[in-house]
Amino acid sequence: MNFDFNEEQYAFRDSVRGFLGDRPAGVGGALPWAGESARQLWSGIAELGVFSALVPEEFGGLGLTFVDLALVLEEFGRALVPPSVVETLVATDAIVRHGSADQKQSMLPRIATGQLRLACAIIEQVAGYDMAEMGTAVVSDGRDYRLDGSKILVPEAANADFLLVAAGFGGGRGNGLVFVERTHSGVELREQRTLDPASAYHEAVFRHVAIPRENILSGEPSSDALQRLFDASATAAGALMTGVAGKVLETSVEYVKQRSQFGKLVGSFQAIKHRCADMAVAVDSSRSAAYYAAWSLASGAADLTKAVSIAKSFCGDTARFVCNEGIQVHGGIGFTWDLGLHFYLRRAKLLEYSYGDSTYHRERVIREALRELGTAD
Amino acid sequence: MDFSFSPEELKFRNDLRQWLIDSLPAGWGKTVFEPADEDDRAHFRLEWERKLFKGGWNGINWPKKYGGRGATLVEQAIFAQEMAIARAPEGLNIIGRNLAGTTLLKHGTEAQRERFLPKILSGDEVWCQGFSEPNAGSDLASIRCLAVRDGEHFVVNGQKIWTSFAQYAQWCFLLVRTDPTLPKHQGISFLLVDMKTKGISMRPLKQISGENEFNETFFDEVRVPVANLVGGLNDGWRIAMTTLAYERGPEDGLGRQIRFKQDLERLLDTVSKLRRGPASAMDDPVIRDKLARSIVEIEIMRLNCLRSFSQAIHGKPRGAEASMLKLYWSHAAQNLYETALEALGPLAPIAGGDPLSPADGRYQLGFLSSRAFTIYSGTSEIQRNIIAERVLGLPK
Repeated sequence: MNFDFNEEQYAFRDSVRGFLGDRPAGVGGALPWAGESARQLWSGIAELGVFSALVPEEFGGLGLTFVDLALVLEEFGRALVPPSVVETLVATDAIVRHGSADQKQSMLPRIATGQLRLACAIIEQVAGYDMAEMGTAVVSDGRDYRLDGSKILVPEAANADFLLVAAGFGGGRGNGLVFVERTHSGVELREQRTLDPASAYHEAVFRHVAIPRENILSGEPSSDALQRLFDASATAAGALMTGVAGKVLETSVEYVKQRSQFGKLVGSFQAIKHRCADMAVAVDSSRSAAYYAAWSLASGAADLTKAVSIAKSFCGDTARFVCNEGIQVHGGIGFTWDLGLHFYLRRAKLLEYSYGDSTYHRERVIREALRELGTAD
Repeated sequence: MDFSFSPEELKFRNDLRQWLIDSLPAGWGKTVFEPADEDDRAHFRLEWERKLFKGGWNGINWPKKYGGRGATLVEQAIFAQEMAIARAPEGLNIIGRNLAGTTLLKHGTEAQRERFLPKILSGDEVWCQGFSEPNAGSDLASIRCLAVRDGEHFVVNGQKIWTSFAQYAQWCFLLVRTDPTLPKHQGISFLLVDMKTKGISMRPLKQISGENEFNETFFDEVRVPVANLVGGLNDGWRIAMTTLAYERGPEDGLGRQIRFKQDLERLLDTVSKLRRGPASAMDDPVIRDKLARSIVEIEIMRLNCLRSFSQAIHGKPRGAEASMLKLYWSHAAQNLYETALEALGPLAPIAGGDPLSPADGRYQLGFLSSRAFTIYSGTSEIQRNIIAERVLGLPK
């Protein structure tokens, strides 16, 4: 047993950090990764091999796992990398695990080279995070399938080549995932205004969209595939939020080391020191949770569900706490648009409410714990 | 990163499981529990520790020549987990094993190790810790307990406080001032003292839990052989920092995590069986959320310890980071016992011994005892100073 990363994994992290640059994002009030820098970001990340990481070698990838990506995802959080990168990664995992041979063959090689972008459409306005309550449905008219329904907060849907849409199949067939081409007739996207202006989210409406059978992930409705996508997304969000919190902690510590009041560095006051220490402990514990969830996901551990939900809830609570405290120790300047700290707070909030919020995941934790104990619930 | 077990490790686990089945009383953890009386419990724990030793399961990570079995990190983690599953009792000689032993392994002479280590594991010699004084709490380096060299002895005069288990201890490791003229961190030495030596007396201190683990210990012209000095003269502060790094470190944390996890699992069981109106108390979404929060926090305590372990194995020096572990777990555990009482709701005030008391007052005792977690082994305020200054580099 070993709960640490190996040299290659740290080196991968370092190369990603080197490319992204480790400056605080959003200084001067400019949106991080807007315009041209977003295009360079995508091709740079592709050149680093991030998109090929999860793709098996036979499809031109590196055949790595989420453990190899945990530190990289943390870097994406630190640098406020827009969500389309991570959406493509978690969709890749779903295709590798659950895709049919044809789906793998047609998509994975293009994903590995960064040619294909995917976005996952899971959450609905009324059903929220509850998959059983989804209104979006795929209905068969005997020969063909049709998709109807709507999703909210689909990350960067307008940039995606394909949407991976969660839907019920009716008739006791459970739910599953279908590929929908973004430009397909009957697909309507509307950019939503959200708390986080540094990333785009869309409402996606599907009106009688034809779904050929080969566009159903794994060929048949698969609740397992949908659950996997949800868990992978939640785990990735945990790592991203850990990165956000880590960067805010570092920025805050740097600031209180050079800001003076009452003729002293504010970092010498215990009131500030103790806040920083609490932030540091929270960030370090958030790493423990995020890394363990990544390992559980990669290895299919028996406590996978619990591990994922522990990470999503704890990393979410930590990111919220650290972003709030980070602004507090900066004082008035922390509240300004131009300092840019709010971009971290905003990203943390978006992630906190994506893929199940902390309350949702804590309910999963207690259900799993009672199941493990064999206690009637 | 890998949490899976090799065939050898699985064998280790199965051997331990079998040994626990054979060695724990029938019905253990379900119908049979530790004695309620504190003194009886101390003796029960000492007997259990001796049993562990005879089975080859005490101090498993220590070198074989001192009575351990040279266990790997994985085996230690398996051990912790299996003890939790079996709800096995803890030993009495925690201070001997975790603090005296580890400090001697790092800083003791070979003669000192051979003399003291085997008897710690066998349970023949229980240890207590003489660090704090009435006027040296958080400011530990201001200790005044004086040791003056007289031939082949030091003569010790002074007082220690919060000496846990002194009433059961045969030995004490003691921080003493050996040179009052030096700056306060530099004039301190680390002595091993036989508790039977003439001139030692103690007075029990009743704690808020009603328990009596603590003592005040008095030293009046106590003669300690020079051979019982650990490290160099006036080198005691450095050695005490090793002791504290272990006291706050992952070995200690992992052992404690077992206890908290046991209490938490028993709590889930208790709450599931508790009726509240027409339903189970476990149906209350507020209680569920709070319990889940504790499950999350106590599991992360385990993960923090395992990560810290792995980093230590890969050569990262032990130091101020241990304060992060301790600050984290002490508050997580306090939250757990507060949640426990909240979950019991209207029954929470009923104390152990009352026929209607849930889990015989276990969570009341846990709650009261947990108030000490953020005070002993360095208060949370001291831990935060250490983290801020030595981990984050904030100015003094």
